[in-house]
Amino acid sequence: MSENKTRTEIVAKLSIIYLAVVVFALVVVGKIVYIQVIEHDKWMDANTVSQKDIIIEPSRGDICATDGRILATSVPQYEIRMDLKSDAITDDVFNKHIDSLSYRLSKLFQDKTPQQYKRKLVSARYRGDRYHLIKRSVDYIQLKELKTFPIFRRGKYKGGLIINQENRRIQPFVNLASRTIGYLKDIGTDVGIEGAYDYDLSGEKGVRLVQKIAGNYWMPVNDGNEVEPRNGYDIITTLDINVQDVAHHALQTQLEKHQASHGTAVLMEVETGDVKAIVNLTRDSQGQYSEQYNYAIGERTEPGSTFKLPVLMVALEDGFIDLNDSIDTENGVVRYHDYEVKDSHKGGYGKITVQRIFEVSSNVGVSKIITQFYTKKEDRFIKGLYNMSLNKSLNVPIKGERKPYIKFPSDTLWSGISLPQIAYGYEVEQTPLQILTFYNAVANNGEMLQPRFVKAIVDHGQVVKRFSPKVINPTICSRATIDKAKKMLEGVVLNGTAQNLKNSNYQIAGKTGTAQIANQKYGYKYQSRTSYQATFVGYFPADNPKYSCIVVVNAPTSGVYYGNLVAGQVFKVIADKVYSTSLDLHTAPLVTYDAELKVPYSRNGHKNELEKVLDDLHIPFENLGINSDWVATEKRDSTIRFNNRYVNDKTIPSVKGMGAKDAIFLLENLGLHVVIKGRGSVGEQSLSPGTKYRHGDRIVLELRS
Amino acid sequence: MKQKFVKYFKGDTAIWLIIFLLAIFSMLTVYSATGTLAYKKMGGNTSYFLFRHMAFLLFGIGITFIVHNISYKIYYSLSQLLLYISIPLLAWTLFKGVSLNEAARWITLPGTGLSFQTSDFAKFALIMYVARLLSSNQENIQDPKVAFKPILIWVLIVCGLILPANFSTAAMLFAICLVLMFIGRIRVLHLAGLVGVGVVAIAIFVAIAWNMPNQGRVATWKVRIENYLGDGSGDNYQTNQSKIAIVNGGLFGKGPGNSTQRNFLPHPYSDFIYSIIIEEYGLLGGLFVLLLYLFLMYRVGAIVRKSQRTFPAFLVIGLAFSLVFQALINMGVAVNVFPVTGQTLPFVSMGGTSIIFTSGALGIILSVSRTVQPKTESPDGEAIIDETEDQYADNINLDDDIEML
Repeated sequence: MSENKTRTEIVAKLSIIYLAVVVFALVVVGKIVYIQVIEHDKWMDANTVSQKDIIIEPSRGDICATDGRILATSVPQYEIRMDLKSDAITDDVFNKHIDSLSYRLSKLFQDKTPQQYKRKLVSARYRGDRYHLIKRSVDYIQLKELKTFPIFRRGKYKGGLIINQENRRIQPFVNLASRTIGYLKDIGTDVGIEGAYDYDLSGEKGVRLVQKIAGNYWMPVNDGNEVEPRNGYDIITTLDINVQDVAHHALQTQLEKHQASHGTAVLMEVETGDVKAIVNLTRDSQGQYSEQYNYAIGERTEPGSTFKLPVLMVALEDGFIDLNDSIDTENGVVRYHDYEVKDSHKGGYGKITVQRIFEVSSNVGVSKIITQFYTKKEDRFIKGLYNMSLNKSLNVPIKGERKPYIKFPSDTLWSGISLPQIAYGYEVEQTPLQILTFYNAVANNGEMLQPRFVKAIVDHGQVVKRFSPKVINPTICSRATIDKAKKMLEGVVLNGTAQNLKNSNYQIAGKTGTAQIANQKYGYKYQSRTSYQATFVGYFPADNPKYSCIVVVNAPTSGVYYGNLVAGQVFKVIADKVYSTSLDLHTAPLVTYDAELKVPYSRNGHKNELEKVLDDLHIPFENLGINSDWVATEKRDSTIRFNNRYVNDKTIPSVKGMGAKDAIFLLENLGLHVVIKGRGSVGEQSLSPGTKYRHGDRIVLELRS
Repeated sequence: MKQKFVKYFKGDTAIWLIIFLLAIFSMLTVYSATGTLAYKKMGGNTSYFLFRHMAFLLFGIGITFIVHNISYKIYYSLSQLLLYISIPLLAWTLFKGVSLNEAARWITLPGTGLSFQTSDFAKFALIMYVARLLSSNQENIQDPKVAFKPILIWVLIVCGLILPANFSTAAMLFAICLVLMFIGRIRVLHLAGLVGVGVVAIAIFVAIAWNMPNQGRVATWKVRIENYLGDGSGDNYQTNQSKIAIVNGGLFGKGPGNSTQRNFLPHPYSDFIYSIIIEEYGLLGGLFVLLLYLFLMYRVGAIVRKSQRTFPAFLVIGLAFSLVFQALINMGVAVNVFPVTGQTLPFVSMGGTSIIFTSGALGIILSVSRTVQPKTESPDGEAIIDETEDQYADNINLDDDIEML
């Protein structure tokens, strides 16, 4: 074969290949044109899929107690899932780490054995599960640990770890006032303050436009957000968590004792209407009590004897009676048409004063007064009640309040016995909070205030909106009537049905009530026995009212159902707590101390600070010859003596007898690492005084009280 | 100006022009396409990849420049050595290499921290060696025992070692060698038989792979082929995004740096760079780049026609065809004529190994063109002798290589 032919053949074959290449190139170009022309619309439409708006949830505000302590807040919690089909989790990786991963999951969550975890993971991997649930409701601390586990520590894509964050609302004080603090419901009306102030708490959602980029990342399209989220405001309530705690447990104890179906207790500040504590307890099927329904706001019942106060006040205001007028209560029974009104005291009280009628809570006496003066003038009587705003809703922000029910003579339901019935608190209906608001108005010299649950709305400590006390009725009646009402209420505790609440430190004024409950379902009988509602409502200190309070215990099933015993006891525990912790209620020292008692024990500490404190408290002390910054104290008969306690930076000082704050300040400034155990003042220190130390050494202090 | 250029940049000026044009396209497109990568990895420092890529391109052109000054003849003997080196390298890569997307394709050069794709190296080594075997056995080329068998053995060894980690490169290399053998005058009957056997082998391979558990590379292949064969609506994310880019581009494109699909396409700077070129420079821009490669192939044809010997002819055909073929596959993937493979666009895609080996190949082609075109046009139209040609020509023993004329 000639070489020329060789070349010709090579060139010819190359041309064939070249032709193939050109054909291929034409196919490529043809496909481009095809896509651009024929499939144009299809891919143009597909183009928008990769962009979306994501909502940036603002963080919900906190609900705080009056002192700023948090009553409800949002904490993040996580749902942990795993992509077991992730390409990066090869058999090698999976098989090598599955045992240690299962072991650590089991150890962290303590809910399944390592074998169970392994079995679940292995079968999920076999199924190719890309969204396998590992655990719900994982907190941040757990999440942090989880991220260090084998496989998971490889990260989101390589380790298949999927973390879904959601915010959970928690109430750090668990059951305390939980119904009043409330919660949001997916369906239906939101509850409590959470519901009432949802708008302020929620904040505003933000929006960010993101686009999908390769590898499943979502990248913001623009710098920053399209709409910046605004976090929710905090709500500062009027609730005092310490008092709430006391009230809660006092009520709970009493409910348990009497196996009552439910009860409520509300403490209000007289001058402002601030609700300091509000407890609502319901008995569940296991006999446990918890906050399930806001009875104070939502349950309207016949108030019974506590209603005698407004009733008599109407008569007093109209000038028909005075406290010393004498009324014949006969033998404790009086008849209206075919209806008998009886006193609980068998045999009656005979002729007694109006004041006494109120003190002993005579149904006969009150009904006789009212029927005597208001028969044919029923309108005047009812208008008298209306004038004291007893028929008005309180319009508290928390939803669910029932409007008071006081019928008018023109109503179709008005009957011949309505007047005497209303006189002692039947055929009318009030909620506990409405009754308390009325009694608070009496304590507040006639000014009726709306119960206040929220003091302010704040944004990072800056007040956005302040709620001042809101007046419902500036004067419910004349001052004279108020004074008489107060006198009657004081008499109840001093001489009447609530003498068990008498005490030497401060005086309580109030009214007991023991009403039969008309239950829509059961009538006046519940479980074939009469159901009762024991109430005590009043205020303290009687001479200078600061707080008013109502306690209602419903359907006590055990024998004792008198308001003073069942409800009054709770009232007293709450009042004692509030009185003992309110320094402003103690105008003068109650007892003068003996000279002996004047010198207290003092902790050791910083000289200048101790001197200042002791000076302020007028406690004599000896500081002669003291030249060290830190001193040890010694209690003498009539003085506190200071002793030098030298501190240098080379050896360990003695911190015995010091408080934790001073000891930590001193030791950590020397460069030591302090570990505190116990409480009180320092009893033992792990490094002896005088020994040498190195920077960063650990010293353990055992505190004793 | 032109004179000076020709003085330093010897060989086929058109090929030099192609190189510079591709480099410019490469820089523009890679800079635009690495935006997402910079966002993810470099905290938004977009110029990082630009400068790194620019450095690679300059380095690559430097390599082309050096290589084109070396006589192609050394590759005659060097090809065997390179091939011998490539075999253990491939084996090492296969078992110990760096895994990326389940494919062990990379090895790290000891001491440097640089990693490179050994199949690129082996590809050029094999092409050179096949060119040598073909040229040295031209006289008895029809005898299968003389040329066909030894070539086939080497091709099967190299492709076999590449295949488990990189099916597309193995298949492509095999096809290039087939083409080279075809042009190298191996009997078409043998080649047809080989293709037949190959088809059967692939069918068996696919059948086995299909019944294997979904693991490793097999799973990736299956997904890719299923995506290609499927209706294109579901999981076929990459090609869909690529098509959106092509539609976005239209006739004239959205202009440099205006691609949006770079954010959605995986590897917009390598595997899918052609889509970004079309999106930013339109059908015309895409066509221009395509024509650059076709023109390269055309210029190589011109070199072959002038060549006095078969070795340089086969060498340039093999090298050029491998570049052009790879470019066409890359484009084919971008426009969804092919299923998704990891082939880069030679000298345009970002990627150190690819650019360096491509530069080397272009250098060799230029070296050959410099040698086979003894006559260059002098300004006054007179033919002059390229003196450098003779210096190298005599120093190297090419007695195996038969002359064509």
